[in-house]
Amino acid sequence: MEQRTTLEIIAPSVEQAISQGLSQLGLPAEAVEVEVLDAGSKGLFGLGGRQVRVRLTVKASDLQEAPAASGSIPEPQPAPVKPASAPPVEDPMLALAEQTVSTLLHHLRLTAQVAARYGEKDRENRTIIQVDIHGDDLGVLIGRRSETLNALQHIASLIVSKQTQQWVHLIVDVEGYRSRRERQLRHMARRMAEQAVKTGRRQVLEPMTAAERRIVHLELRNHPAVTTESIGEEPARKVTIIPKKS
Amino acid sequence: MKAMIEYIARSLVEKPEAVVVNEFRSGDRVRLELSVAREDMGRVIGKSGRVANAIRTLLRVAAEREGVQATLDVLEP
Repeated sequence: MEQRTTLEIIAPSVEQAISQGLSQLGLPAEAVEVEVLDAGSKGLFGLGGRQVRVRLTVKASDLQEAPAASGSIPEPQPAPVKPASAPPVEDPMLALAEQTVSTLLHHLRLTAQVAARYGEKDRENRTIIQVDIHGDDLGVLIGRRSETLNALQHIASLIVSKQTQQWVHLIVDVEGYRSRRERQLRHMARRMAEQAVKTGRRQVLEPMTAAERRIVHLELRNHPAVTTESIGEEPARKVTIIPKKS
Repeated sequence: MKAMIEYIARSLVEKPEAVVVNEFRSGDRVRLELSVAREDMGRVIGKSGRVANAIRTLLRVAAEREGVQATLDVLEP
């Protein structure tokens, strides 16, 4: 099977994109194929101009891991610059989200598959893009209390919003971590609510992010015997579960 | 690490050409200094430093993977 490593770069010009990409990969120009995905645009008064988007594909023969025994090795070619018409039809916003997350992962020296899809719009009708990352050894990407994952999500959202000139919210997940965490939080919320009812004492949960606290509040919103509120200051803000007076 | 800070900063600002990152290494410590155009300061710092802190979180991971400690300062123009 042919192994391919690709890298997408956004930069003000094609030349800058290529040189930036090559320095990231640490490869000479002959080792990659260059594809211009988006030639960019100037925009009005320097506003709203798109940067160029370039994809570099490392030629199979230059991958160290590529097995030499697998028959025909492609001839080394000078990197051909193809026009933007070639790539398969894909949603530019999703492509940008994937590319932004991939580029950040690349800078973190992580190799992973990145796939973006549209999620449901949020309460304020803003676009939500779900970005799923799959790969090995990605624990480092979650970090303590998903701090790293949240930072990646925040920065990637800002970059995509800036490039598209609209407010886009990315939800970045690694190997289904967020959905597992959500189930875990719901479970814990119900257990702690039972505890509050049984002991008649308020239960203070561990500090959580706003998104995680929201999951707990929603889970217990219709609970007959407890109410919830958040106390303390970020980043140590915690949900407390308070038994209702009977 | 320097390339990552440059990529993030250039992607967030109105004036990417004004983004400069300087890297100072001593032993296993790396200090990165980011400067951007004055009007772009808010874009790389964010409300109560949220953006800068998210960048620092990613920088910490990149640094750990290189076995160094890194700090990021956003310089006043």
